[in-house]
Amino acid sequence: MKRAALLGNPNVGKTTLFNILTGSNQYVGNWAGVTVEKKTGVFEKSIEIVDLPGIYAMDTYSNEETVSKDFLINGDVDIILNIVDASNLSRNLYLTMQLKEFKKPMILLLNMADTLPEKGIKIDYERLQEELKIKVIPISASKGVGIDEVKTVLREQFNCPVDENDYQFRNEEQIYKYIDSILKKCVTKNETQKKYVSEKIDKIILNKYLAYPILIGIFYIMFMFTFSWVGKPLQDILSKGFYEKFMPGMHELLKNSSPWFASLIVDGVIGGVGSVIVFFPIILSLFLGLSFLEDSGYMARAALIMDKTMERVGLSGKAFMPLMVGFGCSVPGIMSTRTLESEKDRKLTALIVPLMSCNARLSVYALFASIFFPGNEVLVVSVLYLTGIIIAFLIALLFKNTIFKKDDEPFLIELPEYKLPGIKNLAIHTWEKGKGFFKKAGTTIFSASVLVWFLSNFNLYGEASIDKSMLSAIGKFITPIFKPLGFGTWQNSVAIITGLMAKEVIIGTMGVLYGGNLKIALPKVFTPLSAFSFLIFVLLYTPCISVVATMKKEYGHKMAIFSVAYQFILAWVVSFGVYNIGRMFVR
Amino acid sequence: MSVCDLKTGKLAYVEKVVGNDKLAKRLMALGFINGGEVKVKGAAPLGDPIVLNIKGYDIAIRKKDAANIRIREA
Repeated sequence: MKRAALLGNPNVGKTTLFNILTGSNQYVGNWAGVTVEKKTGVFEKSIEIVDLPGIYAMDTYSNEETVSKDFLINGDVDIILNIVDASNLSRNLYLTMQLKEFKKPMILLLNMADTLPEKGIKIDYERLQEELKIKVIPISASKGVGIDEVKTVLREQFNCPVDENDYQFRNEEQIYKYIDSILKKCVTKNETQKKYVSEKIDKIILNKYLAYPILIGIFYIMFMFTFSWVGKPLQDILSKGFYEKFMPGMHELLKNSSPWFASLIVDGVIGGVGSVIVFFPIILSLFLGLSFLEDSGYMARAALIMDKTMERVGLSGKAFMPLMVGFGCSVPGIMSTRTLESEKDRKLTALIVPLMSCNARLSVYALFASIFFPGNEVLVVSVLYLTGIIIAFLIALLFKNTIFKKDDEPFLIELPEYKLPGIKNLAIHTWEKGKGFFKKAGTTIFSASVLVWFLSNFNLYGEASIDKSMLSAIGKFITPIFKPLGFGTWQNSVAIITGLMAKEVIIGTMGVLYGGNLKIALPKVFTPLSAFSFLIFVLLYTPCISVVATMKKEYGHKMAIFSVAYQFILAWVVSFGVYNIGRMFVR
Repeated sequence: MSVCDLKTGKLAYVEKVVGNDKLAKRLMALGFINGGEVKVKGAAPLGDPIVLNIKGYDIAIRKKDAANIRIREA
């Protein structure tokens, strides 16, 4: 099989083109040793296409560039597909000039060529092809224009020229002078009104007084969309149908087989699948919102607006978005750390994302607050959210100065022109993000569900009720750990363990173990202080299995284990402090 | 003078990029080369980072990094 390398600047439609050419024949992974995404796909069973990370140059020492360079040198590349933004050729061709030095057959794809007339730009493609001495094809990846020609060239076994000239550029200045001399011959520009639209929007979006209210408003709408308007209602319908109709139906179907077998199939396997499926609506709605913000150009502005604040704790403005998303769910939060500049920033941000109180934890806060702090629910919940944020910043500072010690990366972010995202692109980007999660994280969540089912239904002598199961034995065994924190009962320990499945499961487990009405049962085992200590513990302790699975998928075993361990220790230490200092003041 | 001293909306020419190698190389690759037209388009609400226009596109950069971009006024 022949091999093609797809390269280009960030945000020029590389992913869209990759999807068109390879369809569903894709594999996503990481380049060895770094957290840079590696995507490969197959075009018409004959050409393997490798989607390399978006870069501006080959020689400015980032991981992305090193990966790309190594691949072009050692990866048996037969052809280079260089995709560029047709309306911004000058900067885009800088990378092209560097790619030409690899002396491979090369096609230059001028993307977004359809938008040139409205921008008042005219390009003489023939002339450009002559001057650059490589094949040039104008395309529009999002509209499918010019794609047939690209496919034809690919099928014709790379029948395209190699520029054998040795340019011997001594520095960046010479490369740019050369590019500009070519563009002078091939490109004409008339200033149009179009350009000023983005400028006008920026005047409002970046306005001193309006910037923050707009930012808050936009994220508020995104969360409402996910948790009130679309995602959550769909999830409720789905889980209702699943748990109240489908699972009892399956039980009915299997009523003639042995009870433990029926339970394994229905409660273990099907229940496990269900716990992944009910995640669908929320994750996809949140991803849809994120894709919209990214494609429209707003995300870059949000990073710019928050950079000054984030810099104080040693993070870049780009870390703001993953943290914000973390308030909805840590899974997409961690996945969106990919957009950060350096590997260390990505890892650091991913480690603190779970400290943002996600939606699932809110249900635990709400129940406990209503029982133990009636009248002060809002205050208590706000304190918990704030505690999470403050601790995240402290941890960021701590890690930044210890395990992630390094020079500061420069904050450089391109502000693309605003545009209304196309529905097709939105759908593709949303699915792209969702697919990775369900494929990889899904299997982990599924196996963990089956394991918990097993532990809560069996002991060493066979089948058992949950209070005699292995899970309760484990709960009893680890209870001494929680005694100093004020909530050391075996029921709580079991709830903390099952909470690893998803934090809202804590409530359900307590319901089963304390037998019924928690409003009556909980005050018998908790004081307001130990309840608060418990909430702090729930806020901070080891994230749920979906998050750990995502962490493993994105950053590997070590990071996942580290995340599990450090958050458990952190939760224990802070809860211990809260409970024991609190005891000096209240009974 | 550096690009930080430039008033918003005013045009200037890049002279050179100074300071640490890695940053300078990256900025030059992005188009900050001798003779390049540069403009300050605006800033974040707190005044930093600033938004520069170079080679026809907008890029945000922190002031402490932008201070390495030396310019002469048009």
